[in-house]
Amino acid sequence: MTHSNIARIVVLVLLIAAPLVQPNAYWVHVFSLALIGVILAFSQQLLVGMAGIVSLGQGAFYGIGAYTAASLSIAYKLPFLLAILIGGLLAGASSLLLVPIVRLKGSSLAVATLGFAIIVHLVMMNEDWLTGGSIGLMDIPHPTLFGLPVGGETAFYYVCLAVAALVFLTFDRIAHSRFGRALTAMSQDEEAARASGVAISLYKSKCFLIAAIASGIAGGLYAYHSQYLNPNDFSFQKSIDILMMVIIGGIGSLPGAALGAAIVVLVPEVLRSSGEFRLILFGVMVIVLAGTGNRGLAGVITDLVKYAIARWWHKPAPTTAAARVS
Amino acid sequence: MTPLLDVSGLTRHFGGLVAVNDVALEIAPGSVHGLIGPNGAGKTTMLNMVSGHLSSSSGWIRFERELITKTPVDVRARLGIRRTFQNLKLFREMTVLENIMVGMHGQTQCEIWHALLRTPRQKAEEAAIAEQARKALDFVGLLHLAEMPAGSLPYGSQRLVEIARAIVASPKLLLLDEPAAGLNGAESKKMVGLIRAIRDSGVTILLVEHHMDVVMPACDTITVLNYGKRLANGTPAQIREHPEVIKAYLGGGVKRRPKADQPKAAEAAHAAS
Amino acid sequence: MTIDQFVQTMLGGLAIGCIYSLIALGISMIIRATDILHFAQGEMLMVGSMVGLSAYWMRDLPFPIVLLFGIIGGGLISTVVELVVYRTLRMQRVALINIMIATIGVSIVLQNVARLVWGSEPLGYPSLFDSKGIVVAGFAVSPQLLWIVILSALIMGTLILFFRYTRLGIAMQAAAQDPDVARLMGINVDRTTTYTFAVAGMMAGAAGVLLGSLFFASFNMGFITGIKAFVAATLGGLGSVAGAMIGGLIFGLIETFSGMLISTAYKDAVGMVVLILILLLMPNGLLTRAGREV
Ligand SMILES: Nc1ncnc2c1ncn2[C@@H]1O[C@H](COP(=O)(O)OP(=O)(O)O)[C@@H](O)[C@H]1O
Ligand SMILES: [Mg+2]
Repeated sequence: MTHSNIARIVVLVLLIAAPLVQPNAYWVHVFSLALIGVILAFSQQLLVGMAGIVSLGQGAFYGIGAYTAASLSIAYKLPFLLAILIGGLLAGASSLLLVPIVRLKGSSLAVATLGFAIIVHLVMMNEDWLTGGSIGLMDIPHPTLFGLPVGGETAFYYVCLAVAALVFLTFDRIAHSRFGRALTAMSQDEEAARASGVAISLYKSKCFLIAAIASGIAGGLYAYHSQYLNPNDFSFQKSIDILMMVIIGGIGSLPGAALGAAIVVLVPEVLRSSGEFRLILFGVMVIVLAGTGNRGLAGVITDLVKYAIARWWHKPAPTTAAARVS
Repeated sequence: MTPLLDVSGLTRHFGGLVAVNDVALEIAPGSVHGLIGPNGAGKTTMLNMVSGHLSSSSGWIRFERELITKTPVDVRARLGIRRTFQNLKLFREMTVLENIMVGMHGQTQCEIWHALLRTPRQKAEEAAIAEQARKALDFVGLLHLAEMPAGSLPYGSQRLVEIARAIVASPKLLLLDEPAAGLNGAESKKMVGLIRAIRDSGVTILLVEHHMDVVMPACDTITVLNYGKRLANGTPAQIREHPEVIKAYLGGGVKRRPKADQPKAAEAAHAAS
Repeated sequence: MTIDQFVQTMLGGLAIGCIYSLIALGISMIIRATDILHFAQGEMLMVGSMVGLSAYWMRDLPFPIVLLFGIIGGGLISTVVELVVYRTLRMQRVALINIMIATIGVSIVLQNVARLVWGSEPLGYPSLFDSKGIVVAGFAVSPQLLWIVILSALIMGTLILFFRYTRLGIAMQAAAQDPDVARLMGINVDRTTTYTFAVAGMMAGAAGVLLGSLFFASFNMGFITGIKAFVAATLGGLGSVAGAMIGGLIFGLIETFSGMLISTAYKDAVGMVVLILILLLMPNGLLTRAGREV
């Protein structure tokens, strides 16, 4: 068994154990929220870490997925899994609106996606018939799985964990495929990738599509998680938070993205006791973590672990080609 | 024999500047065709139009008789036109092997869902890609560096990685933009050998080069550009004797290693004028 | 729409556009000099606005002095942030995208410090000019709006003169265009970068006082305004100072007119649609910065 497989199993066991160690319903609720954040961070990692695209619009797809799942569940009593799946697909379909702009580069593309997120947010705010406007959607039914109610915070946590694990596996396989290789190549030298036969715009569009589906599914989970949706849950601020998760955790690594998401969601909760200083501390932490270097917190931790292994087992630290999605 | 690449009236403007002016070019299959000329003559621009990285202002390009003037770069790559770049373009943070594997992209098919399901077809294709890539690396003599990050290699090796990436998918036409730039004498010699070997494996080559000691032994035919215009066309022997070429070259331009025959060339230029 | 309404809307659009221009200018200057997308620019505006207001509270100062305090406040905070945060990160050779996230961290910190200091309620700016309408060329116009346009024009004009005719201004331009050549010419690029942040902060501080006088000041007034100015700078061509001014004006006019003619709810959306369309036609915005490949 490889090191990374051992690490994955350890993390999975820890995540399964989390609600048993801390069974307080409030905290389990927050843990679920963190897992939803993890899925969002994965979607951003596909864009930033693999394809080199900075998206400031993931919050929009998150919202589209959430409102779709919620509406279907309220109006048509669609089953839970089907509703979030359709939410994901509709978010994916809406990403096709970005096809014309994928040929933009760097900051222009980032600002254009921001524009998209702002437009979607305004639609959520103002189309009362569709989204309940600024009041939002209330009374979203409790989720059921195969006819059985998903009772309580802990059960829902495990649903989120399963979905997050599935998204991780999917993206991990994508990273280690011909498609993922082409994306990585594209992010490092677009012209050379093109000259090797990579259809750049098509691949960028596919990347947005996959990322949007994942964000949309996260949105569906969120709808059932909070049972109340408000447009301000999906403002462009959310999009920026999602990017922040990836940068803090480490560009290019899925575990890094997960770590970043956990920090962005959990730290403000942990700091709740520090009252008014909570967000100031959080901001300072963002600055410090952004400064940990291009591989983020995941890079720092990997280096520490390698150092420890080298130190205590007297084995040379394995060198890897720079940080990439693993 | 019909030419593999047939270019006619190819022109490219940059604002007021005409970088390539009404140039015609024919490359016979299985040959090495040189494209030479002083700095700024328009060689790279020409190459960029053939690869599709630049659009042409007018003129047309045929590849295997098909008109490709407006075909996008990636489609041309899949048709079998591959290239290297004058200022190295490697995927620096990927390993050498992965760089070459990307070169197989245009010639492979497996879509995302194959990877998600790990289908037998995907596994077979990945194995085949890796195998091909190793062969190409072996061909340029870099197999021992396969797992190194490409950006960490010395300059000369990086040039070879780029060439391996371009030939891994057995292209029909290979465009090389100054492959010997920055190489020392011994490395240049090896490059000539490599170019001949690539040709012998059945790849037609368009070679842009500065160094005469690479161009002359490597090429079967040569086109000379000057100020974007075609100045001459012929075998290396014909080009060597061509009065206008000698004049253009001595008028400043191509770096020429100081050689004993320099005065002779000057005499010839004098005689021609 | 009557002609009178048109003139009113036009003036309103120009006034808000000028404010966007002032912020966008700073954003563009910073991109030119450092390639950093400065998401905390709106916070410089907020600090400027708050400092100006505090100065007014202490003594019943006339408007130009309040404006001056705003300029100083914005400039100071921007300089401090550059010296403490961004310079440190640049020296550690942190990637640009990480610095961009750090600017968001800065924005979070400044907002919440401001909330501690000035509270979370919106603070009314006293009406600094006679609010009676005046008549210009037969049209009744608001002096408030007129003054905003005039003062902004003065500030931007001064900036242009500064860039064109002072040694420091010219050095800053040179350093922004090609840091390596500038270094060879003996320019201290670190220092010009700090001055760039200082000037950018001053512009934002001025915008803060002007925006405050139009509505009110609050700890979270900066973020959305900053984002819009960002869009305006992109519209004009990221890194182009002239483009930022034009982009800001266009954005302000679009917002105001579409709020008037199309829908108040979607006025921001119209601006975004225009942004995306312009980028599709001109991927680098209306004006491209000179001297560097984009
Ligand atoms: N993208 C471009 N924009 C403007 N001018 C260009 C561009 N590319 C090349 N040129 C100009 O076209 C001429 C030919 O350039 P190039 O093809 O690179 O020459 P060569 O490869 O023969 O040295 C030069 O004068 C060069 O400055
Ligand atoms: Mg060239």
